[in-house]
Amino acid sequence: MTTIQDSRPGVVNQAYYDEPAVKPPPLLAVGPLAWVRENLFGSVMDAILTIVGAIIIVGVVSSFLAWGISQANWLAVTFNLRLFMIGRINDPLIESRIQLLALFVMFIIGVNLAAWARVSLRIWITLAVVVVLMFVLPVVIDALVPLPPTYLAAGQAEIVSGSVTETPLPQIGFIAAEGETITIQATDSTITETDGRLARIRSYTDRATNAVRNAAITRLDNQARIGELETLLAGDAITTRQRQAYTDELESIEVPPAVTETLAINQSAIEVRILDANLEPLLADTLTPDSEPLVFTVPDSGWYVLEKSITGSDDTIGLLSIDGIYPIFERNFLRSVEDGPPQRVFEYNRATDNFLVEGGQPRIDGTDVATISIIDHQYRGVRPFSDYLTLMLVPFLNQIKVAAALFLALAAAGYYAARLVDQRLSTREKPHQASRRGATWLWIALPVVAFILIAGVMPSGPLRFSDPQLWGGFLLTMMLTAVGIVAAFPIGVALALGRRSSLPIVSTFSTLYIEVVRGVPLVTVLFMSMLLVPFVLPSLAGPDTAPFRAMVAVTLFSAAYLAENVRGGLQSLPPGQEEAAKALGLAGWQITLYITLPQALRAVIPALVGQFISLYKDTSLVAIVGLIDLTGITKTVAAQTEFQGILRETYVFISIIYFIFSYVISIVSRRIEASGSGAARRI
Amino acid sequence: MSVQEIEQAKPGAIAGDEPIIICNNLNKWFGEFHVLRDVSVDVAPREVVVVIGPSGSGKSTFIRCINRLEEHQEGQIIVDGIELSHDVRNIATIRREIGMVFQQFNLFPHLTVLQNITLAPMKVRRRSRAEAEAKAMQLLERVGIPEQANKYPGQLSGGQQQRVAIARALAMEPKIMLFDEPTSALDPEMIKEVLDVMKELALSGMTMIVVTHEMGFAREVADRVLFFDQGRIVEQGTPEYFFTSAQHPRTKLFLSQIL
Repeated sequence: MTTIQDSRPGVVNQAYYDEPAVKPPPLLAVGPLAWVRENLFGSVMDAILTIVGAIIIVGVVSSFLAWGISQANWLAVTFNLRLFMIGRINDPLIESRIQLLALFVMFIIGVNLAAWARVSLRIWITLAVVVVLMFVLPVVIDALVPLPPTYLAAGQAEIVSGSVTETPLPQIGFIAAEGETITIQATDSTITETDGRLARIRSYTDRATNAVRNAAITRLDNQARIGELETLLAGDAITTRQRQAYTDELESIEVPPAVTETLAINQSAIEVRILDANLEPLLADTLTPDSEPLVFTVPDSGWYVLEKSITGSDDTIGLLSIDGIYPIFERNFLRSVEDGPPQRVFEYNRATDNFLVEGGQPRIDGTDVATISIIDHQYRGVRPFSDYLTLMLVPFLNQIKVAAALFLALAAAGYYAARLVDQRLSTREKPHQASRRGATWLWIALPVVAFILIAGVMPSGPLRFSDPQLWGGFLLTMMLTAVGIVAAFPIGVALALGRRSSLPIVSTFSTLYIEVVRGVPLVTVLFMSMLLVPFVLPSLAGPDTAPFRAMVAVTLFSAAYLAENVRGGLQSLPPGQEEAAKALGLAGWQITLYITLPQALRAVIPALVGQFISLYKDTSLVAIVGLIDLTGITKTVAAQTEFQGILRETYVFISIIYFIFSYVISIVSRRIEASGSGAARRI
Repeated sequence: MSVQEIEQAKPGAIAGDEPIIICNNLNKWFGEFHVLRDVSVDVAPREVVVVIGPSGSGKSTFIRCINRLEEHQEGQIIVDGIELSHDVRNIATIRREIGMVFQQFNLFPHLTVLQNITLAPMKVRRRSRAEAEAKAMQLLERVGIPEQANKYPGQLSGGQQQRVAIARALAMEPKIMLFDEPTSALDPEMIKEVLDVMKELALSGMTMIVVTHEMGFAREVADRVLFFDQGRIVEQGTPEYFFTSAQHPRTKLFLSQIL
């Protein structure tokens, strides 16, 4: 018999003693161009996909940006931030307790970062720079980009614009901070010379000025239409019927005389007075387009009244251009008081920054002096980028900058405190032992602290009860999610073990529960909890317990899904694990506790995180049963007078919030997964 | 095999002592399949019994019955004077006295080597952590890998993992050790390190039942060799007898194929 080797020609038995040198791998083509060629234009199909994809992305992003910068009214978000975050909670003490809780959470996050991950100094510095920018940007923008002036009309003439007739208000109330200067002047010919210029007024206006602008726009539109119709009728490319229709239309269009003529804008001198909140005059002047502007330095923060009139003429209008007077956003709500009935609070917020005055609105003859409200700030056409910066971005940054700075400070404090503790207390073999133990205890403490701070534990005093009916916004969303996870966890694990139990009653009950709940949509479970829970637990019957009923529903719902995930993990374990544990003499419950459950939970981390993220988003369904969570707030905002029907801006905002938190959760889960078990186990 | 032959074999290789394991007429079925057929074996203290046989012959099922990982349906198993029955307390007591090593090691991947070894002594025998860890380090010295104590099983080679598994079983200070094909899942280069540990254990006087295909080990260490086929003991004897003058045609066929 011959061997295979012998049968091959030319093979010589040989041993190799010289070792080939260790070489680096061959260099590949690198650089951005090579990357683009290889990944984006590797084949014809790739190239087509790249081009189509780029067109879609550019189209979507650019149209979104165009809308966001030039049209969207982001003030709907800016001036409702508190509503979005904590709902209608109206007790300042409870509000500050929740702020305290948020800071505590940031501290815990910092400690956890130190215990389980490394954050380089560079990242801390980057975040700090971002926060500093939040403080610096408003100042820089204010210095570089002037706020557009506010235009107010004076006089007794009636301004007719379509079906609307407006007369300028004799007085306008405004709020200002101490030390600010207010400059008032009559507008010159660059604004008032032609109707075309009037139509292009793009800034805050009062209603009268808005009517002037609208009248000018209507007249110009009519003129343009007449020209269009005349061109059409002069040609012969239209049918007889069309000719008839166009002729009728031409006859019906009226072109009023130019607005500049009928109203004789700024032809007469304007009398201007500034009064304080008690209507005591502080300053008076007569303004014409040629006179020096009136400059008023605000002595104290608070309310003032601008009085304006034209004496001697009843049918002219004066148009004032004012720096320093801006629209006011008005809120009134009930504020809980420790003893006694809740008080109604009137809060006035300046639209351009976050300057806030509580109450004290001046009254004349028993009625409140009119103010410019945000609803009067109407833009025609495209808002320039500079106005976007000053009117939309700066107020938003002013609202969030302090919170952002505090959050970052607390996270950094937690991080470095934990590092310090590790340096002092942990051993070399286990360098993170102290901080990990601390982090675990903080997580355990968090639900207790959160409950005490949010719900309160005493009838009065600093930890007084808060009214659950007022909980809302992001706070409610997070509460539902957290309860849904924390409370559902033990129930879900118990159901998973129960379903695998050898006791028929236990396993039948678990299976039945899981299948029934999984077969019913969450909305149904929510409705049933609202309607049925009061029968089982009469203490959860009142309207003020609705959030708790929702929590029960979310918990019971997510427990069933959690049970199935955990069961999947238990089933994925090789049977040898349990056998080995049995052979060592461990009792059944010990095997579950020390061997199978830890491994099963680790194995299903991705599934659990996916479930938690979808739970976080599914809590938005509570808006349907009447709770105002983050999603529900959008409806509240759209019902406000100032932001009637505004939904796009608020939905974009809550989408960003939902996304940020889901993304953070999935990053964390990816880290836990990467730590895995066995060889690479780090956690 | 006749009853007479079983009677002859019964006293065991080390005569005089009361047998520590007594199996009488074990029968077991998987569904309709008759896995163990009237298996009767006694094992004396300090005896090393090697079980060989073709796959599916019931040898693994046999040793898994001894610590109740499988339940026998007929017959009797008495370990150290305690009969294996449905009484949970008996099962727990017997499992404490029997250590087992598996083909697939079955280490707990989420625990370190040290935690793998100390878990059962701490939770079952109620040892203190310090005591259990001292004992564990001693056992790791004995199996030759003390430096791996704080690693996770996934970071060790197969041979090292199996030695940890042996240390884990020994940590419970068992009177009997069961080995279920301990070297079958190992690379050839790692088999020897595990067999060396097992030989050392046998020389120290541990009662052992070993299911294996390592004929060298059987020849060198075993006091007695059992040959299983189709759920029954076909032939047994000293290694010397078994490897040189086995009588049964089935044994002869098996040996001719593997030697």
